[in-house]
Amino acid sequence: MIYLDYSATTPVNEEVINTYSKVCREYIGNPNSLHKLGVEAKKLIDASTLQIAKILGVKTSEIIYTSGSSESNNLAIKGVCSKYSNRGKHIITTELEHSSVIAPISFLQKQGFEVDFVELDENGLVDLDDLKNKLRDDTILVSICAINSEVGVKQDLKAISDIIRTNPKTFFHSDVTQLIGKDKVDLSMLDLASISGQKFYGMKGIGALIKREGLVIDPLIHGGKSTTVFRSGTPATPLIVSLAKALRLAYENYEEKYNKVVELNKYLIDKLSKLDISINSNEYCLPHIVNLSIKNIKPETMQHALEEYDIYISTQTACSKGEYSKAVYAVTRDKDKATHSIRISLSYLTTYEELDKFIEIFSKLLDSLNIRGE
Amino acid sequence: MKVVKINAIWCSGCLIMNKVWNNILKKYDIETIELDIDMDEEEVEKYNPGKILPVFIVFNDDKELLRITGEIKEEEMIKKLKGVCELHEKDI
Repeated sequence: MIYLDYSATTPVNEEVINTYSKVCREYIGNPNSLHKLGVEAKKLIDASTLQIAKILGVKTSEIIYTSGSSESNNLAIKGVCSKYSNRGKHIITTELEHSSVIAPISFLQKQGFEVDFVELDENGLVDLDDLKNKLRDDTILVSICAINSEVGVKQDLKAISDIIRTNPKTFFHSDVTQLIGKDKVDLSMLDLASISGQKFYGMKGIGALIKREGLVIDPLIHGGKSTTVFRSGTPATPLIVSLAKALRLAYENYEEKYNKVVELNKYLIDKLSKLDISINSNEYCLPHIVNLSIKNIKPETMQHALEEYDIYISTQTACSKGEYSKAVYAVTRDKDKATHSIRISLSYLTTYEELDKFIEIFSKLLDSLNIRGE
Repeated sequence: MKVVKINAIWCSGCLIMNKVWNNILKKYDIETIELDIDMDEEEVEKYNPGKILPVFIVFNDDKELLRITGEIKEEEMIKKLKGVCELHEKDI
């Protein structure tokens, strides 16, 4: 199998699975219970939270465990807008966001919130002047992802944050899902950040919302204090411990892993540039994501044809469907390219042999599918 | 005249066009039926909406007059609507 869909999800690290199994077997208590088994589980969670906080450079009190980034995005957006609607009802976002950012904002639009989309430049980067112009006294939230998951455009969060900070009433949320575990991120410039374990070789079903200390938001799930008052429910001890483990492992030698992906990216783009395709990812993109457009072939057709050879890539992100890619359109201004794009996502686990095999098959398919007019 | 508006909650273009359409509804009397591509799947299928959202389908006596897809400006939308039917301004 050649897996080139690491931005959709990553295979779980064996060590993470072992940790998860061990905690499932050995820590059976509810961390909220007062007896010994509960106290042991609670201690383990606290140690894991401390570890995560140290790696991310945040306080333990700033970590809210969730089921993943979709929940974190919903909690951040609805939590802020519900709590601070008396200050204003204006939200700013971009067309590069994941569906789990757009959907809660759509929900809030129906509740009377006004939404503006900040313009993007030809590279897919936020137009900072437009952001300044769109920021209003009643803007309570700006939600802009660190990395777009389809094309890989990496935003300048510091520059964006500096503009948002000029308005003390505005909170800054960023979905940093595609960046965490791959590169270091300074979360201090954000009020809220969404992360997910499954993107850095952790388990599916666990993530976190990092919320700046002192910022109060309304919970989505009410039920009293758990690890935090902002998300009730019995803490998922094995998942939380596995998240800490996955994060620690992801950041072990992360610069070396990152640089390997940079080299893989260069190698792949060099090979791809000899084919009759156009590459949509640019110099501002994370090297882990290579988005390209194919002519006259439906992306789904190519995806399934590759699948026949046990090669896995993605068309649009797994969470959106139907529409043309807004992210590809933002960097190409070409609707045809935006409806014919595929995404190859790389990992430090990817090998040059895998890329060679992929190129060989992909190249053959480009010819054969084109002839068949598919 | 009746407009069937097909949206998806996860679609940024729909979010943008909600604002445009709401502005038009402030000015003109237009009967609108809103459908969600995921929530109203069966009903939506009847209209064969295609890949680009949102879709605005303009009907007169159940006859489809016009189909507008994707993001367009308010003035352009009004011009297209006026091209196929008479728009009645609201009394302010």
